[in-house]
Parts: sequence; C-alpha cells; structure tokens
Amino acid sequence: MSSCIVVTGLGVVSSLGSDVEQLWSSLLEGRSGISEVESFDTSAYRVHRGGEVRDFQPERYLRHLDPGSMGRASQMAVAAALSAVADAGLRSGGPHDPDPERVGVVMGTTSGEPREVERFNDLLVAEELDRLGPELATRYPNHVIAGQVAAELDLCGPNAMIPTACAAGNYALAYALDTLRCGRADVMLAGGADAFSRITYTGFARLGAIAPERCQPFDRNRQGMIPGEGAAVLVLETEEQARRRGARIYAEVAGYGLSCDAHHMTAAHPEGAGAARALEGALASSGVAAEQIDYVSAHGTGTPTNDKLETMALKRVFGDHATRVPVSSVKSMLGHTMGAASAIEALVCCLAIRDGAVPPTANFEEPDPECDLDIVPNEAREVPVSVAMSNAYAFGGNNASVLFRECVS
Amino acid sequence: MQSDEIKGKIREVITQVTEIPGEEIGDTTSFTQELDLDSLALLEIGVDIDYAFQLNLPDERFKDIDSLNDAVHLVVTELATRERSARVA
Amino acid sequence: MSARRDQVVVTGAGVLSPLGYARAPLFEGLLEGRSGLRPVEGFDTRGLALPRVGELNGDGPEQFLEGRSLRPLDRTGRLAAAAAELVLADSGFRAYYGSDEAESLPAGLVLGTMYGSVRTISEFDRRALTAGPQYTKPFDFANSVINAAAGQAAIWHGLAEINATVAGGTTAGLAALAHAADLLRIGRASALVAGGAEELCFESCWSFSRAGLLAREPEGPGAGTPFHAHRNGFLPGEGAALLMLETVTAARSRGAEILGHLTGSGSSFDPSRGQDGERSATAVRRAILAALKDAGREPADVDGLSTSASGSVAVDRAEALGIAAALGRHAAELPVTAVKGSLGEGLGASGAFQTLALLEAMSAGVLPGIRGLDEPEPELPFRLAGSSAHEGRFRCGLVTSLSWDGHACALVVEGPGEEARS
Repeated sequence: MSSCIVVTGLGVVSSLGSDVEQLWSSLLEGRSGISEVESFDTSAYRVHRGGEVRDFQPERYLRHLDPGSMGRASQMAVAAALSAVADAGLRSGGPHDPDPERVGVVMGTTSGEPREVERFNDLLVAEELDRLGPELATRYPNHVIAGQVAAELDLCGPNAMIPTACAAGNYALAYALDTLRCGRADVMLAGGADAFSRITYTGFARLGAIAPERCQPFDRNRQGMIPGEGAAVLVLETEEQARRRGARIYAEVAGYGLSCDAHHMTAAHPEGAGAARALEGALASSGVAAEQIDYVSAHGTGTPTNDKLETMALKRVFGDHATRVPVSSVKSMLGHTMGAASAIEALVCCLAIRDGAVPPTANFEEPDPECDLDIVPNEAREVPVSVAMSNAYAFGGNNASVLFRECVS
Repeated sequence: MQSDEIKGKIREVITQVTEIPGEEIGDTTSFTQELDLDSLALLEIGVDIDYAFQLNLPDERFKDIDSLNDAVHLVVTELATRERSARVA
Repeated sequence: MSARRDQVVVTGAGVLSPLGYARAPLFEGLLEGRSGLRPVEGFDTRGLALPRVGELNGDGPEQFLEGRSLRPLDRTGRLAAAAAELVLADSGFRAYYGSDEAESLPAGLVLGTMYGSVRTISEFDRRALTAGPQYTKPFDFANSVINAAAGQAAIWHGLAEINATVAGGTTAGLAALAHAADLLRIGRASALVAGGAEELCFESCWSFSRAGLLAREPEGPGAGTPFHAHRNGFLPGEGAALLMLETVTAARSRGAEILGHLTGSGSSFDPSRGQDGERSATAVRRAILAALKDAGREPADVDGLSTSASGSVAVDRAEALGIAAALGRHAAELPVTAVKGSLGEGLGASGAFQTLALLEAMSAGVLPGIRGLDEPEPELPFRLAGSSAHEGRFRCGLVTSLSWDGHACALVVEGPGEEARS
C-alpha cells in the first residue's frame, strides 16, 4: 500500500504575476493577462493578442546558471522551480532536507525552445550559414528544460521530460506520482513550461484557432483560444516525509487518468470519448466518486469544439453532478499557456482546496446551451473544496485528468 | 488563365495533399461526403490553392468549398475581380 | 515502498534500422560487423562536410504503411507508425486482438525521441519566413509538436490506451522503455508498444557538427567507434524500434512467445550537464545500482553489457567508468557491445536497438562485438571490448545510456526462462 503523495511547494511565472499569491488573487479578481503581442511583429496576421509574460527577469532568480545560456522556457521553468523549492522549505539546512540524489525533476512542454528554431531559420533564410550555431543541439532540445532546473538546483534524481503538448503539465504530475510511488525518488519537482513564439502563434493562427480579442470559454459566441506562455512547478513528496519535516501540505495528488483519442491530430474525438476515459481513470485511480468532486479546473480553451466536447465528457462521466459542480477555466484570464497550462491549473486546484475559493471563467456574456455547466461566470466564489479535478487535452489526442484532494491527517 | 487550366491545377493540389488520384476527383465529387476529407486536410487544400494562385483570401471564403467546381468557381471569380481592378487602376 | 508489481515481458519487436527492417537482419548485421554507415543521401547538406551517417536504406518506412494517405505524417511519424506496424505483427498482437470490426487495439504507446521532428518545425517556420504566415502548412503545424509522431502512430493503429512521449536526449528511448515497464507493473496498462524514433535531417546534423559532437571529417581511424583510442565524436544516425511490452499474465493468456523480461530500471542525472565527466560517471553508477536494486539483482549477476557508447570522447569514457564503479572488478570481465558502432547515434531510437542486441544475444548465445574496435582506449575497464563476438550464456544483461548533457539511464534485461524476483 503506497503512501499518499502530497504537494508541499508551488512556484509560477505567469502573465498575471510570478508570485503565487499575486497570481491567485489576480485570478480570483478576474484580471486579464492578455495584451497586444509585443515579442514579434503581428501585422501580417489577422490576430494580435496574446498572454505574454511581461517584465520577467530571470537574473532575479538564477544564482548558479547564467540566464543567457538557456532559452526562455528554461528560464521560466528554473525560476518557477526555485520559487517552489523555497515555498516547500526544501533547503532549510536542517536534518530533514532531502538528499539531492533522491530529488528528481519532470517537466512538460509543447514546443521546448522554438525561438532557437526561429533564430536558426532567420540566418538560414538570409544565407548567413557561417553564423548558424549549435543551438538546435545544445539549447533547443526540449529535455534541456528539466536539465536546467536540476543544474541550477544541483539535483541528481531521475530527470525526465514529457512533451505531451497542451496536456504536458498533467502528464508530468502523473509521471512524478508514479516515480514517487515506485520509490525511485523521495521528492519530485513536477511542472510545465512554454515560451511565447512566432512559430506557435503562427500555427494556431493558421488553424484559425485564435480569438481576435478575448478568450471566452463556454460562451455561446466564443471565438477561440489565445496563446500565452508561462511556467509552473509543484513540489511532490510522500505525506510521511512532508510531515516528518514539518512541511506545509497544500493537497494530495490522489490519482490520474490518461487516455489517447487515437482519432485525429488536431481535432478531439467527436463525442469526447477520450476525455471521458481520462476522467474515469482519474476517479478510479483515486477511489473517488464523481459526486465528491467539488471543483473542476477545465481545459476550457475557448475554442468552439473543445468546450462543447469537454461538457459532453463531463456529463458522460459525472451524470447530473456535471451541471452542479463549479467548472471554470483560468485560460479565460491567462490564455493558453501550452505545456505550462495544466501545471498552472494544478496550482489553482491546490489553492482552491487551501482557501475554499474557486476562480471565475472570465469574459462570460451569453450561455451556450451545449455548455450548460456552472462555469462560475465572471466572479470568483467561496466554495469549500475537498476534491478538485484538472483536465488537459492535447494535439495528438493526449488526454489527462489529475485529481487533487484535501490532505487530512 | 483558362478555367480548365485552373481546374487541372486545383485537382493537382488535392491529389498532392490527399494522395487521391486525379481520376477519382470528379467535378462535383463532395470533399467531405465522398472523399472523406477532414477539417485539417480541407484547410491544407485551401492554403495550397490560395498559394498556387496567390489569392491571399481569408479562410472564411473557403469554408463552403466542397467540390472541384466550388473551388474553380472561387478562383475564377477572384482572378477575374483582380484583373478588372488591375485594368481600372 | 513500491506499488504492487507485475512482471514485464517482451513479446516482439518492430525495427527500422540502417542494418535492416526486422530484428533478425539487425542482429545478423551486428554479429557480422556490418556497417550501416555511409555518405548521406537523404538531405541537402548545404555545403556542410559531414562524416558518414546511419541512414535507412531503400524504401524506408512507407513500404510498411498501406491503405491510407501518408501525407499528414512527417518522416518521424512514419518511422513510428511503421515500427508499430512491424511490432504488432512480430508479436502476434494484432493477429490475436485485431479484427475487421475493431477500430482500436488494447495497447498503448510510449515513444522516446529527442526532437520529435526538428525538421518539420523548422520547415513550418521557414515557410512563414519565405511565403508569409498565411501560407504555412497546417499539416506541418500538427506535426511540429514533439508528441506528434506518437499521436500519428496511435491514430494509424488505433492504439487508444496510454500514449506518452518521453524526451531525454540520447537516453530518451531507454527512458521510454523504463517508463512503459513501470506503467505495466503498476497496472496502468496490460500492453504497451515502447521504444523510440528519430529522423536524420540537416537541422540536427548541422547543429551536432557546430557543437563539436560529430566525428571529424575527413574521418580518421576510430571515427564513430565506441571506446576507440582515437575516437573523436559520433556519427549521426536514424531509425525506429518499438518493443511489445506486456504483463506476463497478458502475454501468457494469449500464448505469446516471450523474448525476455525487463526486470528493473534506474535513472539519474549529472547536474553539471556533462561538463564534469566524474559527475556523469557517478550518474551512470547510480542509475545502474538503482536498476539492479529494482530488479532484485546484484552486480555479480550481470553477464552482458549493451552500452550507448558512440565514439564520443567524454561520454564513452564516463559511461565506461560509471559501469565499472557500479559493477566493481566484475565489469572488466564482462562481454560488452555498443551498437552505435554499426548504426550510428540514433538518438531516441538507440535505446530499443541496444535492448534488442541483448535480447537476441540471449536466444542466440552470442553477443555482437563492437564494429571497428581494433584499438580500445587503454584506460577503459573492459578487457573484452573488441570487434569479436562473444559466445556465452546470457541471462541477465544490463543496458546503459548516458547523454552528452547529463541524463543517465539503465535497464536490466533477463532471458525468457528467468522468473524475475518481485
């Protein structure tokens, strides 16, 4: 019988703040982290809005590594990891500090460091081959993100990268859960990171997926998603160890469900079947019944199809409870932060449990009969949350739901 | 450009994207119902048709294209409009 | 405390390698010391002087993928889908579970890859630069995410169980096998196709060259030869290999032939990211000891080694020293192989190639030598390292992998007749 795995630290870099409490209060106030894109010229595009992180200064966080030696996603991941480790009190200098050989890192991402590809191509297209460097071997490969986190923190435990696109944060949490339960590590830093890039923006624009002004999940007139960026890292360990070192426990990671649509690269299964299986798997692996769920952090991208299919999946698995439980999407405020999204949303679930409050789905104006859920429109709500579910769905048909539960000793 | 030439070029694009032989793409063969093309394939076809004729049209103009004839009509109309504007200018 | 564990067995393999398209020609080629390395043909090198590469010959993955348009799949996706096609056949899994009505198979996929496809994301972006963002290709964007190949393979074969992509530099393939084995043991799946895929392309080769990772061109003696005294870098390669992994219960219930057991794995990290060779060696040592402990085995039980050595100066050395540190004096007397001497550095594909070398050795009673290793580096611990094959009875082998930037992974592979200790 394995021990409970709990969350003892949170760290984040986001367009609404790179301090966990600042982000949380911004989300509860329904603030928007969306603005006009500045990091590249969008005049050739029909859309211009994004969730860029402004004023991120990696040098304020990194102590050992030079921020200039890594890409932006890595910088954000390292910053979030440092915050999480501090929050968890892992380096107190006391006798219960975990052995670095037993502390591992697993991160998720969608694209890794796409700006390195952009730089490569800028030079290649300009035929300046002699200026083309080694970065696609040294800085671009996505696994360097997890590597840089461990390098900054001098950690030697299992180090992995699970690049399952927009569900990657949840996949990283699942991997961390199993790694800890199998006794391969005593602590796992788990999270996700993605940097804003013209490649990602161009791709979603090309698919016609980007909303012109705002992200309006579950709204009848929703126009699509808004690409964003960010990073979040959670510290996971056994409850036993957390209590032994007097750590503050946010919540238990009680279980997860993973599934694959095996249907289409960019379109989900038309009945949300894969998403439903992920929800069922999360409930089954946690031993929790649907009626016990107090809050759902939706994938809720704001695209016409996702929100409709997610509603179908929730109804299929939760039955009547689907229209009773509060379901909200913070992507309405942060945009879609890709690989960071479900890591940030995991953070939201932990804080919802801690504070008994759920963030709103912002920008809501008109109900959609096909999304007739209680989406906590526009205003946060005080709700006791003992159990929260976080959903994430990705290109390639990767679906993941993770269940968080209040940890009562 | 003649309508036949346009049709041939568009048929080529569809074959290139879908690997469906040209003979199977009739003038009125439905892309969605008969060729079973999904939204991503239709989008790719729209992009490649637009590129071939340098139309620079918004995606909405391609939304209802479901056959070779539809596509040819769109391109012919668009090219004619440009020709007229060019002559006037 | 570990979760409940079921034994994990290998019941088949799908192989696309520079030495052939099944495990038999791959193993025969390794035994005969044949080279899968030749001057590059598949892409324009734009004036870059490249050493030989391990490119796939002949018709490539397309020959195994019929009946549907391949256009939505990029090369990496085709490699993954083709390897899946081959392993589903080789293992008898499709014959047993498939039917004309069933659209899906009760198996998942765990794919290791370093890049997904750096070529596809680059070409997508280049098109934006040269033709404008409105003319980028939707198919290419769908394939630009790193998990695209795993998604494409799942769609092609209806693999609707757990689907995961694992990255980790050159250790990705071995890490994928280890992760899949864990998922099976804790009951998240009863069958998983696992391994890796990687394509050779201009973008990666250019960058490896610029980073000083490749064997110098023109090639000197020992170029791309693992553990060679005059080695100076690796030769890049490509390919895909997927193993069918099942719980022993599931395998027996369908009467599958069991090729071997994956009894344990371990991984560790060098926080200097490869800058400090000693720390890299330590990471290898830790990974091996964790794997042996996971398998319930002792260093003295190991009777064969399948290393990831590639001709890289620092990495080969760190891997060898790490193995010696973990296994003690015993390491010096062990038969050792390094498939990259024949296949090149296959990145995500390598882990499964390395594992197959041991599995095949267990049934054939002979472990391939290391191609071209006429002069091993004297300081390295392996007395038996050389180009000759090693005959013997192999029952408990160790597969190791070390990336140039600090990832270390180890897998314990045991023969079909062995009952693993849980």
